[in-house]
Amino acid sequence: MNNGKKLNIALAGQGNAGKSSVFNFLTGLHQHIGNWAGKTIEKREGTLFYKGYTIDVLDLPGIYSLTTFSVEEQIAHEHIIRQKPDYVINVVDSTNLERNLIFTLQLLELECPIILALNRFDLAAKKGMSVSTKKLQKILGVPVVATIASRGSGLTSVIDRIIEHREKYTYYKPPSYGKEIESAISELNELLNNTGLPYPVRWLSIKLIEKDPEISKIIAEKRPEAVEKAVALGKKLEEIHGHDSSIIISDERSHLAAQITRDIVRLDPLRKISLKEKLEALTTHKFSGYLIMILILGGMFLTVFKLGNWLSGILDTLFGSLHLWWNDSVGTGAAAALGWSAVESVLALMQIAFPYILPFYILLYILEDWGYIARISFLMDKFMHKMGIHGKGCISFIIGFGCNVPGCLSCRIMESRRERFITAVLVTLVPCSAVSVIIFGLVGKYVGLWWAFGLYAFALIIIFIAGKLSSKLLLGEPVELIMPMPDYKTPSPKTIMVQTWDALREFIYIAAPIVIISGVVIQAINLAGWMPAISSILSPVTVTWLGLPSITGILLIFGILRKELILVMLAAYLGTTEFATVLSPQQMITLAVVSMFYVPCVATISVLWKEYGWKKALAVCLLEILFAIVLAGIAKRLLDLVF
Amino acid sequence: MSDRKSIVCLTDLRDGESGNIVSIAGGKGALKRLADLGLSTGTWVTVVSRTLFNGPVQIEVCGSRLVIGQGLAAKIMVEQK
Repeated sequence: MNNGKKLNIALAGQGNAGKSSVFNFLTGLHQHIGNWAGKTIEKREGTLFYKGYTIDVLDLPGIYSLTTFSVEEQIAHEHIIRQKPDYVINVVDSTNLERNLIFTLQLLELECPIILALNRFDLAAKKGMSVSTKKLQKILGVPVVATIASRGSGLTSVIDRIIEHREKYTYYKPPSYGKEIESAISELNELLNNTGLPYPVRWLSIKLIEKDPEISKIIAEKRPEAVEKAVALGKKLEEIHGHDSSIIISDERSHLAAQITRDIVRLDPLRKISLKEKLEALTTHKFSGYLIMILILGGMFLTVFKLGNWLSGILDTLFGSLHLWWNDSVGTGAAAALGWSAVESVLALMQIAFPYILPFYILLYILEDWGYIARISFLMDKFMHKMGIHGKGCISFIIGFGCNVPGCLSCRIMESRRERFITAVLVTLVPCSAVSVIIFGLVGKYVGLWWAFGLYAFALIIIFIAGKLSSKLLLGEPVELIMPMPDYKTPSPKTIMVQTWDALREFIYIAAPIVIISGVVIQAINLAGWMPAISSILSPVTVTWLGLPSITGILLIFGILRKELILVMLAAYLGTTEFATVLSPQQMITLAVVSMFYVPCVATISVLWKEYGWKKALAVCLLEILFAIVLAGIAKRLLDLVF
Repeated sequence: MSDRKSIVCLTDLRDGESGNIVSIAGGKGALKRLADLGLSTGTWVTVVSRTLFNGPVQIEVCGSRLVIGQGLAAKIMVEQK
């Protein structure tokens, strides 16, 4: 074995091409996940030991997936140009060849060593497509290998080809476009020689014609005459093509991709409509689509809630005996009580993470890997537009019903900052599983199930109104939905497990520190005996305005940690779960309304802080506190008329 | 059958009908994203389905499916055969 041979490989591709399956197959458990410097976008790295080589594999962010923003595109090309990986594996979805080849052409413009993995080769055959890898190899001038990443087939030959080609790498010609564009590019090339920039000259010329703002800025410092020239050439091209020069080259790429696809693909004209296509039609149909969506989502929430309650009950007994053991062996003094509150915070977090969030994520990622999530975005787009965001925002809402923390994190899938923030704020108003515990445990049990469902409907109306308002207040153009619709495929257990684990870990990392700290602080205030004082300070709001018992002031403070603590502590304070003996129906509903909206829990606040800065996080908290108090007070007065 | 061609909005096509894109009147960003996904003048598109109340349009472009918000789809003009 010859040790010490190293290779650097980067994976690039459009979303849904199976890039993460390739990554998981190659690196297995040797994965490391971090963030791109200064960005909230995940960076996945791993190592593969193969034939005496130590191969570092980096997964570049996917382009045009459900998680799209232009930052990812920039990260991808900056990495390829600056870090110069030994090889870039371009994972291509054979079933969507034409669209994927557009991205391949963009990669080829970067003039780095590239190998194409024509993935999902089996599915393409099932669709009646026969793709010639040989012809594609000849047209592009780079190696092409057929792969089926979900089964791992073809991936070792990709690595073999890389090892083999690396020694005798030959320069390929980047794709060439129409005559007048090529002459514009070569005129610019002459002005851009020897700039000292790491980028390929031809790529710079193309970016200038495309009016890329970043590149134009960089070039303007070094060669202002090139930028001027590009503007003049762009005007000329616009006269010929009749539209903006920024998209002329995109146009050329898509025409070239179409031509290549025609050359290498043969379609079988005599093919029956598969079951998959029938499913496709049913799930996006204007009537059956909605029916199926309601069934799937309803089933999902019911499963999570039932399963969660059962698992949570088991953990409750377990942690209860742990508390007794703590009191026996550590003691019940002030220090021991503070220590226990730290332990309890961790346990409490686990009690949300494992019974509720884990099953929720598993089901969610099954739907995502299957391809269903995109259908929901499609079906809900029109409705979401009324709130000033497009269909993808619906996904964050669905996640938010499980837990607001991952819900807010998932807002990264929205394209613009404005959309991301609006979606995040609306997600904080979505009743999460902890709030559902209050709604069902208090209102559902003692006032009536229909009142509980009514509260849900009420929450949706509030979210709708808040969405309408915030989209009016936050200026800016709403973004239209542009989303590739993935084909349905059999979910891969491995992908689902990896995604679930990543999401769960992110939740724990973000939530744990703040939950522990605030748990200890609140317990310290409690031990210092300041709680009665605090509840009497709050009593004008809680007692006078909301008509609740003064103890609720303390409950609402603890509720910031975890909303269901409101109910748990109320039971502890009363020494019974028979809430009907102390609270009237209107008090229960009022308390539930306050709990739903009054403030996001600390874990959610910490996400808002991290993603949007402390000013916006604070503003959201203060607004929601004020809003909940006003709303619940009005609700109380209306309820007094009913009961 | 007459072979007179008519130019209509993408949203005016019925499910299953196709047309050749003649113009797209969108913002620069949207145009570029569409072009990068293979949608530009001269491309053939087929409307697959749409949701209730004039929702987004699902179209097929060269074997791939794409969803386009109604507002943007209304700005895409196609020549119907």
